[in-house]
Amino acid sequence: MSLALFGRLLILAALAFACAGAVLGFHAGRSRSALALKLARRFAYAFAGALILATLVMEYALLTHDFSVSYVAQVGSRATPIHITIVSLWSSLEGSILFWGLVLAVFVAALTRSLRDKNLAFAPDTIGVVLAIGSFFAFLLAGPANPFGDVPNVPLDGPGPNPLLQNHPLMIVHPPLLYLGYVGMAIPFAMGAAALIHGGMSSAWMSSIRRWMLIPWTFLTGGIVMGGWWAYEVLGWGGYWAWDPVENASFLPWLTATAFLHAAMLQERRGQLKAWTLVLLFVTFALTILGTFMTRSGVFNSVHSFTQSAIGPTFLVFLAVVLIFSVFLLAFRVNTLEPGRPLRSWRSRDFAFIFNNLLLVLFTFTVLVGTCFPLLVEAIRGAKLSVGEPFFNQFALPIGTAIVFLMGIGPALPWGRASADDAKTALLWPVVLSVVVTSGAAGLLMAQGHEPKLWPLLCVAASTLALVVALRDMWTPIRALRKRHDSGLGTAAIKALKRGRRRYGGQIVHIGVALVTLSIGISGGYREIGEKLLKRGESMKVGDYTLTFAGSKNVSDPHRQRILGIVRVASGDRQMGEMYPAMNHYPRQMNPIGTPAVRSTLTGDLYLSAMQIDPAGSFIGLRVYLNPAVPWLWVGMFVMMVGGTISAWPGRRRKRGPAAAEAA
Amino acid sequence: MGQDNQQQGETASTGQAQPSRRVSYKVIIGGLVIILPLLWVLFSGLFMDPHRMDAPLVGRNAPAFDLPELNSDGTRSLASYRGKPLVLNFFATWCLPCRSEHPVLNQAARQFGDRIQFVGVVYEDKRAVVNAWLNRYGGQAFPTLIDIGGKAAIAYGVYGVPETFFIDPQGVIRSKHVGPMDPMVIRSRIALLVGGGS
Repeated sequence: MSLALFGRLLILAALAFACAGAVLGFHAGRSRSALALKLARRFAYAFAGALILATLVMEYALLTHDFSVSYVAQVGSRATPIHITIVSLWSSLEGSILFWGLVLAVFVAALTRSLRDKNLAFAPDTIGVVLAIGSFFAFLLAGPANPFGDVPNVPLDGPGPNPLLQNHPLMIVHPPLLYLGYVGMAIPFAMGAAALIHGGMSSAWMSSIRRWMLIPWTFLTGGIVMGGWWAYEVLGWGGYWAWDPVENASFLPWLTATAFLHAAMLQERRGQLKAWTLVLLFVTFALTILGTFMTRSGVFNSVHSFTQSAIGPTFLVFLAVVLIFSVFLLAFRVNTLEPGRPLRSWRSRDFAFIFNNLLLVLFTFTVLVGTCFPLLVEAIRGAKLSVGEPFFNQFALPIGTAIVFLMGIGPALPWGRASADDAKTALLWPVVLSVVVTSGAAGLLMAQGHEPKLWPLLCVAASTLALVVALRDMWTPIRALRKRHDSGLGTAAIKALKRGRRRYGGQIVHIGVALVTLSIGISGGYREIGEKLLKRGESMKVGDYTLTFAGSKNVSDPHRQRILGIVRVASGDRQMGEMYPAMNHYPRQMNPIGTPAVRSTLTGDLYLSAMQIDPAGSFIGLRVYLNPAVPWLWVGMFVMMVGGTISAWPGRRRKRGPAAAEAA
Repeated sequence: MGQDNQQQGETASTGQAQPSRRVSYKVIIGGLVIILPLLWVLFSGLFMDPHRMDAPLVGRNAPAFDLPELNSDGTRSLASYRGKPLVLNFFATWCLPCRSEHPVLNQAARQFGDRIQFVGVVYEDKRAVVNAWLNRYGGQAFPTLIDIGGKAAIAYGVYGVPETFFIDPQGVIRSKHVGPMDPMVIRSRIALLVGGGS
């Protein structure tokens, strides 16, 4: 049996298992049949097993260069290094859908295991919904995006994967993180939908959903920022975000998921906004599907699109089904949700959370409109139009800064209601510190001869406020524990972290967001650019740096030719060594791809991008960026991911009862 | 959340609490009002090639322009290019597809430059950044003009960038391409232009 046929059979088996499991799951939800539930769970595992095996078969085909498998013939090449061959699984459409299936399979297996407590009322419908989603992806793999096609005349070698994938190690990490984030959103969606199908919602189930949302949220955070990081390190235009439709596609569900994480807390504690929380959950999942549609349909003009793909219509139908299902499910079941306690005062964390939700949704709406507006105009007037960075920045700056300000105010206030005096006491020091730091930053800028600019300084003010509040919120329980038990700082900190994992995780995420905001504000406002055509031995000055072109070097890798420009860097009188901005030439690619050279310090990056390099080393077209504070963006991302992981980390498992599901 | 909370949750989940199963028509109407237009827009997008559109100017005289040159104080008018087939490319440095297109244009300009005039028009962009961008994305094999205030773009009915007009030696627009061009497209358009113009 050929590998292609074996792979196809595994996909068909996965499709059959998913369909059967979905039907049995829904049946168990109605009839409460223990047998049906047991079988549904078995089918869920079988579905996961078949997809994992199918992925292994594909990896085997890739590694053994079996060009009789259509996907291998499309992206494989004998010249490609092994680690690139492994990751070429997600370098093109069909493989990326298979990888998508793999991620879903792993999530489904983990979810099914966590729902092993048979007392859970919502478990059968959850398995039903998640396997219904699984059927769709298995169907895609069986038909419109089949990676296991037969190749009639088997070629001896293939073209190799997209050169951009081969250009930087971050490209190995960025897509899987993004997929883990995207696909993982299916799990909380299924859990929320199951609660509504069953009729009702409990606090315990909601906090379980929230935890399942935190996992993909953490991955998505990493995926988005690493995408920007990759663009920064590889594309050579000195920036990390361009509001490209596909970047927006990854950002949209992140925004609504973030809104959900906050709304869910409000719902757990105060019973408020149950329906709204579910709407956010459904919208988040729908936006991941919309995002996939944007990336994979060729409808949007983007650097990421795999153009002219046949799966566009299939995804659109799926999106329509998800949206219409969500609306009707909500309409038929919204009245089964108990009303929550009303808001007591605007001086409360509750109100800050509601306001945060409104801003996040406004943000989502603006980005969505900006992204879809060209399509809308074309549909109505037949006109083409593109919405550029200025539009997005104009909205993103005020909304984003406002959200970060709220991030400083909300956690400082108590739940329920704060008296005017309490609120003043809670906010006094953070506000004072924020004003002091911001004035200090403005003074420092003026001393260095820069003009103070509004948005960067507002970013500084907002992030300082949020930082101070987050640190205080983390410090307070540690101090209390130290006083009560007279223990050392380390012991108290570990104890406090164990007791309030969610609180600490959340505040660490907030610190990460503050760092990211700081970095975006400063790097956006104070970047310096210099550009010159340098002959060998000539220098240019940008900021404090003197850059001298000292010739070029040709390097032959198995899969590409590189020309490195040798640039000597000096800061004042101090020699700082050489940097090597490069141009890479890949076989079968007309245009070279530049790789910038980046030198990072705590305060910022020196970023050299070659526009052209003479192979003989007589001249270089050099573009130089001084990007202040950019490294803090990546640091902020890691901090956010650490915080998300701490929040989502399973607690001590209780023996019986619904808490077991929550702990999983 | 303590044990209490979870107990409460379980009673709510068994559906014995007072909430009803009434259908909310508000949710249906509100939801459909939001999702149907979105689906319609996406659906109509499927039938639109992002790279093609109808051009009312094809077959007519190209609108006249007189635009400043990028690297001098002088200006160039459409009339000054008469007598040679002209490829007029509207682009901008903030436009992502233009990045992939520009090297293709440069290549074509080097190849056909003796027979065909290539001209770039920077559309709604700042003069300072254009030179840098041109050098980064393939060099300057042909002259670039700056369309201050976007008047030429409006006259040519440019909807977005990149957009390219193929004008014959008599000043008649022979065809137009929307979106980035690849080597195949540009070659076939030039063949059409040379064939139709002479």
